[in-house]
Amino acid sequence: MKSKKRDQWIAFWMVPAFFNVFGLVFVPLSWMMPPRSPNAPEPQMISFMQSHNLLIACALLTLVYGFAPVGNSIYLIQIKRMSVSPVFRYTLMVGSITGAIVGMLFPMFCFGLGAFRSGYRPSILLMLYDFGYLAFIGSLGCFCIMWMAFALAIILDQNNVLPKWLGYYTLWQYVTELMAAPVWISKSGPFAWNGLMTFWFAMALYVPWQIIVYVCIYRSIKNQPDDELESAWLHQTSPATDVRPKATA
Amino acid sequence: MTAVATTARRSIPGAPSMWFFVIGDLIIFGCYFVAYMYYRGQDHTLFLHSQARLNLDIGAINTIVLITSSLFVALGTAAARAGTVTDAVRLFGIGLGFGAAFPLLKLFEYVPEIVGGVTPGTNLFFMFYFVMTGMHLCHVLLGLVVISFVIRNLRTAPTPNISLAETGATYWHMVDLLWLVLFALLYLMR
Amino acid sequence: MTTYLRNPLTIVWALLTAVTVVSWLTARDGGAAHLVNVTVTVVVLAIAAVKAQLVIWHFMEVRRAPTWLRATTAGWVVVLFALLIGFYFQSL
Repeated sequence: MKSKKRDQWIAFWMVPAFFNVFGLVFVPLSWMMPPRSPNAPEPQMISFMQSHNLLIACALLTLVYGFAPVGNSIYLIQIKRMSVSPVFRYTLMVGSITGAIVGMLFPMFCFGLGAFRSGYRPSILLMLYDFGYLAFIGSLGCFCIMWMAFALAIILDQNNVLPKWLGYYTLWQYVTELMAAPVWISKSGPFAWNGLMTFWFAMALYVPWQIIVYVCIYRSIKNQPDDELESAWLHQTSPATDVRPKATA
Repeated sequence: MTAVATTARRSIPGAPSMWFFVIGDLIIFGCYFVAYMYYRGQDHTLFLHSQARLNLDIGAINTIVLITSSLFVALGTAAARAGTVTDAVRLFGIGLGFGAAFPLLKLFEYVPEIVGGVTPGTNLFFMFYFVMTGMHLCHVLLGLVVISFVIRNLRTAPTPNISLAETGATYWHMVDLLWLVLFALLYLMR
Repeated sequence: MTTYLRNPLTIVWALLTAVTVVSWLTARDGGAAHLVNVTVTVVVLAIAAVKAQLVIWHFMEVRRAPTWLRATTAGWVVVLFALLIGFYFQSL
């Protein structure tokens, strides 16, 4: 029997696939992550911007960027099941859109310009290096509000779609996003974009959270009764007697 | 004083998920505190000179303000449990009042500093100072909102939600606790 | 009114306030000298640890909580202040 949750499962499994590509692109391929130093000597920055690996990384990123919106949809489907105001869902939606644009698309453009186009003056390459990393790590506003909305929705939800402790853990995502603010000021030390306080502590919190959130959402999708599905109207067998309203845009 | 709800059995006050948050937050801030001490050790002179520019008096008064606020919140929680809801509302209200004094006093601290040219970008000490006290201030503001919800519940709900009061109180005491350590690290230690 | 004054919580509050004033006075003179002062630091951190444990034990009611919670919070105080003192002395 066909799973009625196939749409959710496709979106769900897209995420680990996407993250694996993402991880490959950013770490072993281009060594963009862990973040290079904002204070690195100029020849190093320039050779990084023009490196062959960065080129491949950016090409891959351009192709898989589309996964992001699909992957983010699973958060939205879960919030819709909660007993909270729709405002939370819209906030997360817009936050994830702006976040993906500023946090992923902008760096892709910056590093891509360095990699795909030769002939830029060193001073421009240096600016693109700064721009790319600051956009990637310093773009906190959208993510702050996104995780705040998700956290509050979980905590206030009376349908207990997701566990309360996950809501509180998500609040720490908001905290680590706020902690990223100093990267705009510090070029070295613990508050630079590769610093202990702003990057490493944040990663120590973020990585387990990202894994845990997906495990929780997996369980939530699995446990959702079929007749409560948002897509339940698609599977109705007797349209004549069905009084459930059709989904309208 | 009626001891109906204050049982001798071992119980966790408030929602367990809040304790998850409290312990986690304590660990996270703990890491920040230790990082601060580590980086301080690399440049004692800079940190000492910078500390001297802090307003120790406001820091100390704010500490006492938060401790007092915590007292009234704790008394309010006990009153809510004992069923004396009007007392509880009054006690939580006084606690809220003291708590609200904290951000106000902080303004008197931050504004002269910033106007005087001391900003997060001034040096590493001040980056730590502004970031950590700023993060703590966010916690305080959130706590004030939570306490307000507790008061509203105690005043208007047909049966007051004791668990909500306990949960909010636990969060508020954590905020107090964090400040006690911050005060010692940023203002007092040499 | 007197019930509040005799309430154990109020006594804890009085203690917390008193040691806060003590540590305030301890640090009052050290700042302007711009000198490392081990005594002041140790006193101030020790007082902070005591205050922390008091707040956890009485205000947060961990005194009446299950053993695992008492152990976790006490562990936090011990480990945190051990690390703080440790890094401090190691840097001198």
